[in-house]
Amino acid sequence: MRAFLAGARIQLRFLRSYPDSLIPFFTAPMFTVIFLMIFRHAGRPDLTAYATVAPVFIALWWLALFNAGWSIQIERWNGTIEMLVAAPSSFAAVILGRITTTTMIGVVSFAETWLVARLLFGATVRIHHLWAFVATIVITLATMAGTSVAMSSLFVLTRNAVTFSNAASYPFYILGGILVPVSVLPHWIRPVSSIVFLSWSADLLRAALRSTPMHDVGFRLGMVALLGVCGFALGAWAMRVILVRVRTSGELGTM
Amino acid sequence: MPAMEAVVVEGIRRVFTPRKREPVTALDSVSLTIPVGEVHGLLGPNGAGKTTLVKILSTVLLPTEGRALVCGHDVVTETKAVRPLIGIVFGGERGLYTRLSARQNLEYWGALYRLSGPQIKERTAMLLDRVGLTDRADQRVEEFSRGMKQRLHLARGLMGDARVLFLDEPTTGMDPLAAREFRKLVGDLQDEGRTILLTTHDMVEAETVCDRVSLIDRGRILATETPRSLGSLISRFQRIDIEDAPDALLAQLKLVAGVSSVSPQADGSIRIEVNEDGATALVLRHLVDAGITSVKTSLPSLEEVYVQMIGERGLVV
Repeated sequence: MRAFLAGARIQLRFLRSYPDSLIPFFTAPMFTVIFLMIFRHAGRPDLTAYATVAPVFIALWWLALFNAGWSIQIERWNGTIEMLVAAPSSFAAVILGRITTTTMIGVVSFAETWLVARLLFGATVRIHHLWAFVATIVITLATMAGTSVAMSSLFVLTRNAVTFSNAASYPFYILGGILVPVSVLPHWIRPVSSIVFLSWSADLLRAALRSTPMHDVGFRLGMVALLGVCGFALGAWAMRVILVRVRTSGELGTM
Repeated sequence: MPAMEAVVVEGIRRVFTPRKREPVTALDSVSLTIPVGEVHGLLGPNGAGKTTLVKILSTVLLPTEGRALVCGHDVVTETKAVRPLIGIVFGGERGLYTRLSARQNLEYWGALYRLSGPQIKERTAMLLDRVGLTDRADQRVEEFSRGMKQRLHLARGLMGDARVLFLDEPTTGMDPLAAREFRKLVGDLQDEGRTILLTTHDMVEAETVCDRVSLIDRGRILATETPRSLGSLISRFQRIDIEDAPDALLAQLKLVAGVSSVSPQADGSIRIEVNEDGATALVLRHLVDAGITSVKTSLPSLEEVYVQMIGERGLVV
């Protein structure tokens, strides 16, 4: 827990020192404008919920994934990664603390996205199932952080983790049905999507914004949590294996 | 019962296998024992294997063969036990979060070394004072001079109250005064019972602060002795300085078995260097027979030992 908090504290300090890592707060409102204009132009104001949820997911996932890569990259740039690995605290717990902090801050994008929708398009986003909505957000944030640790373990193997983490976000936008629901994607994609937690989270959030009753909320939330736990467990295991590998190859501090 | 040896290295071999290139042996059958409380110098040229050994001992790198213990714990199988006991200070500009302040850097490392909140505050303040950075504590590290960064490196390495400190060329970039202060600090740390493994190129540093020195080259330890003993170890490389001598005698001396060179010095004296046991006595006999009595013999300095044992290699690694 101490390692997690140390990671969280240093991340807050880094965010002040590297404000460019919060760029999604500038892009999320723009995505909102683009999506709402497309849906309005297509005569589908009923898809407003999609247009307002998608930019938030894009921002949150980008923040999580970018920071997973950036956390590794910045340690390499600073020449601290070897000392970090040689410290008594768990490397994975430190990284988890850092990513969790960033994704939690990312929730602000909900407010700005919905404010843009209201001010520019007169669209009001109503939460019809508040508890399901809040539970989905909390579990999704934890799952995002856990999954990002799995990704960061892979980034340890790459020399330019930031570039890789940038590119790695796009497949998840598709597989997660962030803007286009998985149900309208080709059939062969669906099994893959079902193991991407974003697809469960996005469906839940959109459902929480609709007035119609929600079904199987507990099961669907459980799936998000399960995928998060699996992601973190896989990440922590992969981190251990990969650290042994780079300690063997001597490439830990290599840039 | 606590281990009497702070560091034990037994037959360590480390081979790097770069992609599409021949394997490189960085360490070859290295064995070394450092008792608790000793300041041990690892002296060698670039690429000798000093940093590789430090990385293995600090659990960052795995050896290809052999075994290493820190305070009785294996650095490969007992990393969790080793890590709280060690502090690492790598030389150079890197190793710090430059956009954070000195205080923030130390607080972070304190947390990673599992110190409580009050302990972190206390040790941060104490170490900043100890390395003379209290006045700059809240300044960004990127604004620091190289020497200041180096001092902060040392404070960071001490945040966890390490029993064994690995200092990898810690005075790189320090001005002579700062380096002198640093050496004094190393002495203070030794007085506190800490064991220090110091890698360096600097002969004066090794001679000043180290109880024992290991000469390392091309991955092999050539000798481990006190700085003074290392000098006598190659006493056969003795030098004989004479003030004045006829050319005929000098030509004669060049032919004496074991004389490696006879060369004039900048101050006008002549230096005769020998490289075999007993050669000094032969040279002295020739000199006395020729009526020359103004003779000075001396042992080589650690620097000369280093050059003699490792060889004049210029910039070749």
